[in-house]
Amino acid sequence: MYELLGAGIANLMQVKYLLPLFLGTLAGVLGGALPGVTITMTIIVVLPFTFGLDPLQGLAAMTGVYVGGSAGGLVTATLLGLPGTPSAIATTFDGHPMAKKGEPGRAVWLGIWASCFGGLLGGVFLIGATEPLAAFALRFGPWEFFALFILALSMVAGLAEASLLKGLLSGCVGLIVTILGTDPVMGQDRLTLGIPFIRGGIDFLPVLIGVFAFSQVMGEIERGGAPAADAVQRAGRLAVSHARVIWEIVSRPFQLLWFAFIGVLIGVLPAIGGSAASMMAYDQAKKISRRPQEFGSGVPEGIIASEASNNANVGGSLVTIMAFGIPGDAVTAVMLGALTIHGIQSGPLFISQNAQLAYGIFAAYLLAHALMVLIMAAGARWMLRIVTVPKAALFPVVLVLCTIGAYALNNTMANVYVLLAFGVLGYAMVKVGLPLAPFILGVILGDQIEINLVRSLMTDSNLWLFVTRPISALLLGLAVASIVLSLWQHRRMQKKSALAGGGADF
Amino acid sequence: MKLSKDGWAGLAVLAASLFLFALTLGLRDNPLVPIGPGFYPRIVLGLTALFALALVAFDLLRNTTPPAGPRTAYRAVVLHFVVFAVYAMALPWVGFRIATFAYVAASNALLDVPRSARGWLRVALLALGTAFATYYVFEHYLSVLLPRGRWTNF
Repeated sequence: MYELLGAGIANLMQVKYLLPLFLGTLAGVLGGALPGVTITMTIIVVLPFTFGLDPLQGLAAMTGVYVGGSAGGLVTATLLGLPGTPSAIATTFDGHPMAKKGEPGRAVWLGIWASCFGGLLGGVFLIGATEPLAAFALRFGPWEFFALFILALSMVAGLAEASLLKGLLSGCVGLIVTILGTDPVMGQDRLTLGIPFIRGGIDFLPVLIGVFAFSQVMGEIERGGAPAADAVQRAGRLAVSHARVIWEIVSRPFQLLWFAFIGVLIGVLPAIGGSAASMMAYDQAKKISRRPQEFGSGVPEGIIASEASNNANVGGSLVTIMAFGIPGDAVTAVMLGALTIHGIQSGPLFISQNAQLAYGIFAAYLLAHALMVLIMAAGARWMLRIVTVPKAALFPVVLVLCTIGAYALNNTMANVYVLLAFGVLGYAMVKVGLPLAPFILGVILGDQIEINLVRSLMTDSNLWLFVTRPISALLLGLAVASIVLSLWQHRRMQKKSALAGGGADF
Repeated sequence: MKLSKDGWAGLAVLAASLFLFALTLGLRDNPLVPIGPGFYPRIVLGLTALFALALVAFDLLRNTTPPAGPRTAYRAVVLHFVVFAVYAMALPWVGFRIATFAYVAASNALLDVPRSARGWLRVALLALGTAFATYYVFEHYLSVLLPRGRWTNF
């Protein structure tokens, strides 16, 4: 393992890999710093640039975007109180007060170094756990894979912020997208609605790009786009003693480990995301602190908790996609799409069949943290100018890049029309409160759910095998438990809001 | 009883899933395989219809009027979707460079209406820069062939 990792790092040090990794990290940091632009949108914009690259170059760039984006939001969060990404929201609670008290450098660098250490701890888990988990998944038959995908879908539906019912409905709508086209068993046309290009099925990347990019861009247009605050003046002096800041972080080893663990755990679970990881870690930091009353006034633990967990979250998300082929969030869903474009099958066999690529991704993940620190060191002051980029200029360019991304998948206009159709659908779903994450997971997993269900029934028509095979039974049991748990949580919220005088969703 | 957004969404999904379910009834099973092409779609569409129906039912049972949200610029959103649709339709006819120039200019001008010659110049420069920079980078460095226009051959 260490030998392969060493070879991966040596490989990544070549300019042809280091350059896309650097550019990806830079794009991630800039995208993360820009309020209203998420890491998902940044990675969607970067995607078409990777089509002409070799798989490792493309995935290194995307890993850079993910790592850079997870840290990029902290500069504007601390100096302006404007979180660049949702995962930096918790950083504003103590980062911004600390900056306002005259310690902007300490606030920013606590965040940067905590992101780096948290991310590296997430990397230890990523590198250590992926192979054993993938080896475990190799024992799966179609019954277990079917159960695993159902578990992922039910968790995502249950954990979505909207109601459980809407989450389940959204997941089913995603599954419907995958039944249009061709039957995977006999290759027979079905539900093509008389549209020729549906005969080959609908590619999930234009769907994903359309749904996320349009819902976000149109959402901003609808709100009129928030103007930037009094941006640049507050930069002040960011110079700081790095040794002191690093000591502030590493002198709390157990807290750092705990925050990173929370991040990794949330990352492994599909669709919860960095914002929940940082919020949970912040909450934990407050609970284990001897002076919880000081939180919110600029305590270092608040910044460390938020940033360490949200970067460790990236490591956890990558484990799920590399070991099981299940994207934990929209960013890893795009990475899965990039793998597919290059003809690489993700899943349990990925690491054994593509060891060089897998360890290259690990190496890219580790090096991206070092690059992120360097980029922040060189550009933190200038990053505040990013928030002054006019949305009127940014949005058309983003949509043009999305169009290229959809078109270039197989050089057909059909994918551009799919992009537009699902852009409208995504925006409509957001407007009626149907969560997008279960929809996307449904689109991604739909084919595999069908193939594994049909394969299992064709092997043995006994339906009891789903519950008598231990792993399958365990996974299906967890799926049911996650539904019951989320039902219970929604009921509890309903009661609370009823007591408060408002209504709540089921 | 009045339906809220949830109820209307549920009804729309219910109608779509029932329509597709009806179409699956026309799919013929293959005698060589025990599971036909309509087996899985019927499960998915049946579940979808069930969840959609539940959403409508809960909405009717709740019977509360949602609070009025802040005013939103739906007209601007519709306009931008229309502009993008025109762009998507125009791409194969006028080609990437001309369509992208026109789209970026129109979209940028709609989002931030130019009020002077300088403003129009800014719009033109952004549109020109985007169209040609993306074309150059993707065609020359990334080997991605972008659409040529049937009318313009450009």
